[in-house]
Amino acid sequence: MDQSEISQPVTDDVVLRRIERLQLNYISSIDEGPLDNWPHFFTDKCLYTVVSRDNFDRGMELGVMRFESVGMLIDRATATQHAAVFAPRIIRHLLGPTLVDDTGEGYRSRCNVAIYQTSPDGDTMLLMTAIYNDLIVEQDGVLKFKEKRVIYDTHRIPDSIVYPL
Amino acid sequence: MDGTQSSNNSETDIWSEAGTTRVPFQVYQDAEIYAQELEKIFYGSSWNYVGLECEVPNSGDFRRNFIGEREVLMIRKDDGALSVVENRCAHRGAQLCQTLSGNAGSAIMCPYHQWTYTLDGELTGMPFKRGINGKGGLNPDFDMKAHGLVALRVESLNGVVFASFDHDVPTLKEYLGPDMVKYFTRIFNGRGLRVVGYERQVIDCNWKLQMENLKDPYHAGILHLFLISFGLFRLDQESKCLVDDSKGHSVLMTNKGTEEGKEDTGGVKIAAPDFALTDHDLIQPRLEFGDNTTLSIQTLFPSIIIQAQCNTLATRQVIPKGPGSHELVWTFFGFKDDDDEMKNLRLRQANLMGSAGYVTLDDAEALEFSQVGLSGSSAGDAAVLEIGGTDCESNDHLVTESLIRGFYMKYRDIMGHGKAGA
Repeated sequence: MDQSEISQPVTDDVVLRRIERLQLNYISSIDEGPLDNWPHFFTDKCLYTVVSRDNFDRGMELGVMRFESVGMLIDRATATQHAAVFAPRIIRHLLGPTLVDDTGEGYRSRCNVAIYQTSPDGDTMLLMTAIYNDLIVEQDGVLKFKEKRVIYDTHRIPDSIVYPL
Repeated sequence: MDGTQSSNNSETDIWSEAGTTRVPFQVYQDAEIYAQELEKIFYGSSWNYVGLECEVPNSGDFRRNFIGEREVLMIRKDDGALSVVENRCAHRGAQLCQTLSGNAGSAIMCPYHQWTYTLDGELTGMPFKRGINGKGGLNPDFDMKAHGLVALRVESLNGVVFASFDHDVPTLKEYLGPDMVKYFTRIFNGRGLRVVGYERQVIDCNWKLQMENLKDPYHAGILHLFLISFGLFRLDQESKCLVDDSKGHSVLMTNKGTEEGKEDTGGVKIAAPDFALTDHDLIQPRLEFGDNTTLSIQTLFPSIIIQAQCNTLATRQVIPKGPGSHELVWTFFGFKDDDDEMKNLRLRQANLMGSAGYVTLDDAEALEFSQVGLSGSSAGDAAVLEIGGTDCESNDHLVTESLIRGFYMKYRDIMGHGKAGA
């Protein structure tokens, strides 16, 4: 997110396809499950935050979720499955194309995302539009998120956000 | 308490003999009752939260908000004082400001025909006031003074701003009463405030159900498995449920226990899962208000909630959106002199609250279950509120619905829905 980051556009198709695959596997862990897989797309120390564009533009860090380690992500996955009361729902992420830059520290990846939610009665509504702004690093030959910032436009959230985004 | 005369017409004679232990489901879905609530409660003699002073630090800064369904602007004037005006041009009714906040400069100008107002709402001018070459424009006897913006009465208490459409309303402190002022100023103790961030969500249930939920400690120790699992809230904790003399305002306070032994739930198993939490900071408050209270929820009539759960502090404003929906606006705040550790705690503990909060996502869900459940009910169907008896008094325990009964006592008085005998 650092504006002074020196970065080069990534044009290597192999890298681009690996990053695209990471993003698709990531959303699949939420949309298709199991949610227990979701924390493991991140490095041990990480930043996962879901911040409204309204807060972001005001320079406010407050997020509807903010986790700084895989442990905290596991807390969320566990609590969502075992310590929360909510109507069942289906979540569906639609990703746009990904723009990738090499920052030296890792790959900066940006892509638009639309997240839909379907109720038990079968009604589908748009939960939010957002941008994923991610920092991806390679760890033991595996690409992981060191940062994933979900910056969402829809800052009047319909009802509640149950699953990670 | 002073009650308005019972109006025995059929529209309002919906309350049974059982006083406020029965709340007719009509009050959550009837369009006519809703319209009367807006007029009698929100646009009547109530003080309504409009924001924090720190949101408008500089001259010309404004923040847009709602009282009932009417839009208002909280504005910082040149002299440092605040004004609150309706966000509606006196000319043709256009919305003046569209953004949630901004700076109006030295005047408010309508984008439609550029009618211009002072930051107090006085009409100062408009293009072509005298027409062109003596033709057109306004009649010379047009009274500019009579065509200002609707200005509200404004009062601020330790940085929190309230407004009223009724200029004859008692002072804010009189409206709140000494007990509520005491708990209000426990949190808003005069230290400079800062906004940590906002959250907004639209919950499809009547606005009163949201207020009831924060006056209902009974649900908190049952629905919120997360709180129960980690001892953040249990019905057997040291606690207070306080109702003010008007019965419309209340405070809930609990102290987090140190041991997590078995709770006496009267034989009913609370199905809380048993799992360890990695992030202990989430449930380890740093005491900051000079007492051992780890959770306090103050609800002020009609529609503002002040939350202090561990170190996550927020105002929750309930904005009605028709009989079956409301918007909940969370303004998370801290103090200007928070140290870095506290700033970090406030961000992390916000995971408990808000639209995705470990605790409050359950609330939004359960409240929608309520609205769906009661819609289509028959005349005479009503909620049963007999937990903790039938009175509207303060308690030193949490297994009670007395705060909700109190809310409806005040509600019935204002609405003219008969006199609510406790």
